[in-house]
Amino acid sequence: MRPLPAGWAKALRLALLFGALLGLYALAVARHEERAQIREQAVVLTPSCADKLDRYGLAAGPDYVSTYMLARGWHPDPRRGYSEQDVRAIQRGCNIIDDLQGQLATDPGRERWNSTRFVRGTHTSCDHCHQGIGDKQTAAGVPQTGSLSLGASWVMADMYDQFTGILLPFELRQMQCYINSSNGYKPNVADDLIRDVTAYSRFLAAALDLRFGNRYAEQGIDEVTASSTLKRGDDYVRGAALFKEKCARCHGPQGLGTVVEGKVVYPALAGPNSFNHQSRNNFSFVSTILPGFICRNMPLGEEGTLSNQDCRDIGFYVSNLPRPAGDKEGPLAALWNQLMMRVMPPMIHAVETWRHADTSGESGA
Amino acid sequence: MIARLSSWASLGGRSLGSELLIGLTLAVVVLPQAIAFSTTLAGLPSYFGIYCAIWGVLSSALLNPSRVFHGGPNSTQSAVVGVTLLPVAPQFGPDYIGCALTLFLLAGLIQLLFLAIRPLGRMLDFVSEPVANGMICGIGVYMILKSFPTFAGLPVNTQVEWRLWIAWQSFLSVLEIGNMHAIHIGLITLVVTIVARQFHALRNWGILLGILAGTLYSQYLNAHFGLGETLVEQTANISPAGFVYPSLPLFAQEAMPDIISIIPGAVTLALLGLFQTVAAMRMMNRKSGQFVDARHGIFADAVSNCVLPFISALPTCASFNRMSLMQAMNTGSRVAAASSALFLLALVSFFGEYIAIIPVPAMAAIIMVVGANMIDWSDIRAHFEHRPEAIVFSASFLSVHIFGLFGAVICGSLLALAYAKWEKAHPNVDLEGNVLRIRGNIYYGSLPVIESLYHRANNDPRFEELVVDFSAVHHIDPEGIRWLAEVGKNGKVRMADRRSGQDRRGDRRGRVGGPTRKDRRKRQAL
Repeated sequence: MRPLPAGWAKALRLALLFGALLGLYALAVARHEERAQIREQAVVLTPSCADKLDRYGLAAGPDYVSTYMLARGWHPDPRRGYSEQDVRAIQRGCNIIDDLQGQLATDPGRERWNSTRFVRGTHTSCDHCHQGIGDKQTAAGVPQTGSLSLGASWVMADMYDQFTGILLPFELRQMQCYINSSNGYKPNVADDLIRDVTAYSRFLAAALDLRFGNRYAEQGIDEVTASSTLKRGDDYVRGAALFKEKCARCHGPQGLGTVVEGKVVYPALAGPNSFNHQSRNNFSFVSTILPGFICRNMPLGEEGTLSNQDCRDIGFYVSNLPRPAGDKEGPLAALWNQLMMRVMPPMIHAVETWRHADTSGESGA
Repeated sequence: MIARLSSWASLGGRSLGSELLIGLTLAVVVLPQAIAFSTTLAGLPSYFGIYCAIWGVLSSALLNPSRVFHGGPNSTQSAVVGVTLLPVAPQFGPDYIGCALTLFLLAGLIQLLFLAIRPLGRMLDFVSEPVANGMICGIGVYMILKSFPTFAGLPVNTQVEWRLWIAWQSFLSVLEIGNMHAIHIGLITLVVTIVARQFHALRNWGILLGILAGTLYSQYLNAHFGLGETLVEQTANISPAGFVYPSLPLFAQEAMPDIISIIPGAVTLALLGLFQTVAAMRMMNRKSGQFVDARHGIFADAVSNCVLPFISALPTCASFNRMSLMQAMNTGSRVAAASSALFLLALVSFFGEYIAIIPVPAMAAIIMVVGANMIDWSDIRAHFEHRPEAIVFSASFLSVHIFGLFGAVICGSLLALAYAKWEKAHPNVDLEGNVLRIRGNIYYGSLPVIESLYHRANNDPRFEELVVDFSAVHHIDPEGIRWLAEVGKNGKVRMADRRSGQDRRGDRRGRVGGPTRKDRRKRQAL
C-alpha cells in the first residue's frame, strides 16, 4: 500500500483528533443529561431510611419543624423548608449512608451514584461506623455519646482537624472516609455522592435541632486514651482472647466479616474488605479512635459493657491483623500487604485447625 | 570574557524578534504552571511559583551555557514538597512556609555536594536515553491526565496512589459532573491552539492565540450569564506581590525535630532536580547539536537553589515540557530563556489585572498541549527497534505512572544497568575445531559461561591440543587473570593472542611481501 502524501496524513490526523474531541464532548453532554435525569427521578428509600425520614417529618414545604423534637415535647423555631429537589437529595444521601454498596437497590449504579467505584472492598458502608444511619440513639431515643453523628459533625463543619492540623471542610472529611476507612479512592469534591451526603447531614442537624458551631457529645468518637486506663500497657494476647470471646461470633475468627447470601451482615475488620493502614480506625496510626468506637458502640446490643483497657487491647489486636496499605505508603507496601492478606488467613486457619485437633486428641486420651 | 559575552549574545542564526517571541510564549506557558504547581501541589502561595519562574529561570539562563535550557518550577519537585511537608505543619501556614524554605535550602546544599564531589555527579549519568525519553513521555501523558479536572472546572484530585486509576476517575468526573461552561472554554482554547499551530506563520503564536480566544469567550460568558452563574475559576491577581519577597529559612531550635524529619525529603528533592536537569541536557545536546557538559547544569541548579529560598521561590530544575517547546520553536540562544523571565516579571508587574481574568480551564488546555508536545513518536519508534531499549523505555514510561518520577529514574536506570551487565556477562564464546574463541569481557560475571564451554572442550577426547584465543577480549578483571593462570597450567592448552604483533616486530622483512609461513608459525606458537 502506498503511504499517504504528508499533507493528507496531517489532515487525517487532525480530523481524527477533532473527531475524538467531538465524540468526547457528545459523551459528556449525554452523561450530564443522564445525571440530571437521576436527580429528577423519585427516590426509592431503604427501609431504615424510610422509617427515619418519616420519623423526622421530611417533606417539601416553605417551613420545616422537626417532628422528632415535637415528639420529645420541645418546640423549636421553624427552619427554612425544603424544595422537592432538596428532599430528593436528602433521601439519596440517607440511602448512601445506609447502603453504600447498593445491596438494597435494584440499579446500584444509578441509585447510589456509582459509589462502589470509590470503594475497593465489597463490605464497607458508611453505616458501619456512622451507625443508626449517621444518627445512633439510645433506647431512650437520645443521641448516643461518641457515635460519629453526621448531624453533629455537620454543625462543626470546616474545623481544624486535630490530627493533621488542616482546616478541613465537611466535604474533604468525607473524602478521607472514602480513601482510608473504605480503602478506596477520592470522589471529586463536586460529585453528587458528596453533595447528597452533605445535604442529609444538614437535615439531621435541623431535625435534631443542633446549632452551628456547637460541640455535641455525639459528635466524633469518645476517645479512649491510655491515660484513661490503669496504664498497664496495651496487651495483644489479652486483646486476642477478648476478640475471640466478644467479637469473633459476628466478625468471624479472623475478622474477615460475615456474608450471607451475598449480603454483608457484619463487616470485615481485617483483610481486603476492611479499612486500611492509614484509616484512623487503625490503632497503630491513631491509638484512641478504635478503642473509643468499641467502648461506645460494641458489641451490638451490649454497648458499654467493655472496660477502657479491654477496648484498647481489642483495638491493638484488631489493628495488627493483615489489612490493605494506606494511600501514601506506596505500591511496594501495598503489594506486601496484599500478599499478607492472601497468605496469612489460610495459614492461621490451618494452624488453628491443627492445634484444635491436637488438643481435642489430647483431651480424648 | 569577550568571547563569553559574544557567545551569550549570539542568536544562533535566529532573529532577536523570534527569540523574544519564544520568550513571551514561554512566559505565558510557565505562568499557569507556576501558579498551579505552587498552590495545588506544593501547598505554598502562588508567588513561590512565580518567583521561581522569574528568578530561577533567569539565574539558570545566566549560569548555564546551554541554548535550549529552561529552569523554573517543576511539577514533580512541587509534589515532593507537598508530600514531605504534609505531616510537618498545616499547608499555607507560616510554619509550613518556614519549613519549606529550609527544605529548599537543604536540597540546594545537597546539590552543591554533587557538584563538589565528582563521582557523585558522575552517578547522574546512568540515566540513559531510553530512560529519559520514557520519563518524558510518561510526564507528558501524566500532565494531560492531571489537567482533566481543571479543564472541566473541577478541583484537582491530590490522592497519590494508583495515578492511572485516579486519572480514569478524573476523566469520568469530567464527563459526568464537569462544568459545561468550563469545558467550552477549554475546548475553544484547545481547538484554536491546535489550528493555529498548523500554519507555519502562526505556529509560535498558537498558545498565545489559544489563551486569548479562551479568555475572550470566558469574558463573553461572564458578561452574558454573570460569574455567579458560570462559576469558572480565574487566575488570581498577583501584581501586588512585587519584584522580590525576601524570606529566611527556618532554623529555630524548637523546629529541629521537624527539620531532621524532612532531610530524606530534601535528598529526594535534590536528586530529582539533578536527574531531570542532567537527563534534559543530554537529550537537548543531541537534538540541538550543541554540546554542553551536564556539570554546568548541576552548577546552575545548585547555586540557584541555594539562593532562591531567600527570595520565597520554589526550587528550580530543567523543565522537559518547556525545553521541548523551545526545541520545537527552534531556539537559537539563551536570550529566549532570559527574556521569558523578564517578560513574566513585566506581565506580573504591569498586567496582573489582565492575567487575573485568564480562566483556569484555558490554562489547563495549554498544559495539555504542552504535555502532548513532549511525546515524540520518532524517538519512541527508534527505541522500539531494539528490544532491550524498548523494555527500558516502557519500564520507565510505566514507572512514572506507578512509582512516580523518582521511581521511574531508579527503575529505568537499574534496568539499563542490568541490560549492560547482562550483555557483558554473555560474551560471544564459540568452539571452532580445537580453537576456543572468546570475544567480549573475561570477568567474574562472564566466567561461568566461558568456563562451561572450556571444560567441555577440554574433556573432549578428539582434541589433543586446545587453543584458547582471546584476541578479541577487551577487559580482564583480576578473577579472569587468575582463571587464565590456572588454564595456563594445563599442558593441553595453548593461549593465542593475535593482537600482540610480536612476530611482525621480530621480523620486519616479512612485512613487505605480506605474511609469510614463518610469521604464521610464530603466531600459532603464541
